Amino acid sequence: MRQAGAYSGLLCGGVSGRTGPHSLPLARIKKIMKNSGEDVKMISGEAPIIFSKACELFIEELTRRSWIMAIQGKRRTLHKEDLASAVIATDIFDFLITLVSSSESHAVGGATNVMEVETIDCS
Amino acid sequence: MAGVREQDQYMPIANVIRIMRRILPAHAKISDDAKETIQECVSEYISFITAEANERCQREQRKTVTAEDVLWAMEKLGFDNYAHPLSLYLHRYRESEGEPASVRRASSAMGINNNMVHPPYINSHGFGMFDFDPSSQGFYRDDHNAASGSGGFVAPFDPYANIKRDAL
Repeated sequence: MRQAGAYSGLLCGGVSGRTGPHSLPLARIKKIMKNSGEDVKMISGEAPIIFSKACELFIEELTRRSWIMAIQGKRRTLHKEDLASAVIATDIFDFLITLVSSSESHAVGGATNVMEVETIDCS
Repeated sequence: MAGVREQDQYMPIANVIRIMRRILPAHAKISDDAKETIQECVSEYISFITAEANERCQREQRKTVTAEDVLWAMEKLGFDNYAHPLSLYLHRYRESEGEPASVRRASSAMGINNNMVHPPYINSHGFGMFDFDPSSQGFYRDDHNAASGSGGFVAPFDPYANIKRDAL
């Protein structure tokens, strides 16, 4: 007789066949690692596995902080501006400031960020 | 949006959204621009950490970026909150390739009656701990091949369930 765990495992494997037990595709992670610099030579098989989990933690943290920004704005929809505000407010996300800022060249967007930062400072 | 984004430079949006949904309340919505932005942030995160890990590799005159290099880079760049659960994750991943996985595989095989799976009762790999040599890469490939069989899915699945619970 089949065990429930075994069956669930099969389904899970089947549904995300390309990623196996990991929630993010390892081949894609490896490709991005390779493109991080021309001097990246060889990547051990375990490094993308670590990243698949690290990226989950990163996405969860960024989402959590962005959602706080959205609810402070009395909204139920997460917007790009919320991500930008979360990045600006969090030290370890400094490396993303250029990325989120460049997609917000609009002056109004910039003003909004400044206002939200001020709000954070007041609280 | 002007220009086509190269999809192979980003994590698949469906996977990213599924992870976001774990954190967000049921009524939360995610705008399209937020989805694209977080995809870009994830790729930037991987590049940022990898560049630092690779720099250490080069200083030490090694050519292969290892999991340990990645963990070291995370600590150095302020993601020390991630480094501990990830060390645990790596440790258990390596354990799952050793004897306990064989036992699980045997149980799964008996449960499924899958003749294709031949559980080795004597594990020549010892406890499955690997150092920083290419064999870990090769071994991972073997695991990936095993996953293509129906029996192979079950064995590596169980330890990750445990790890995911720990991560929460």
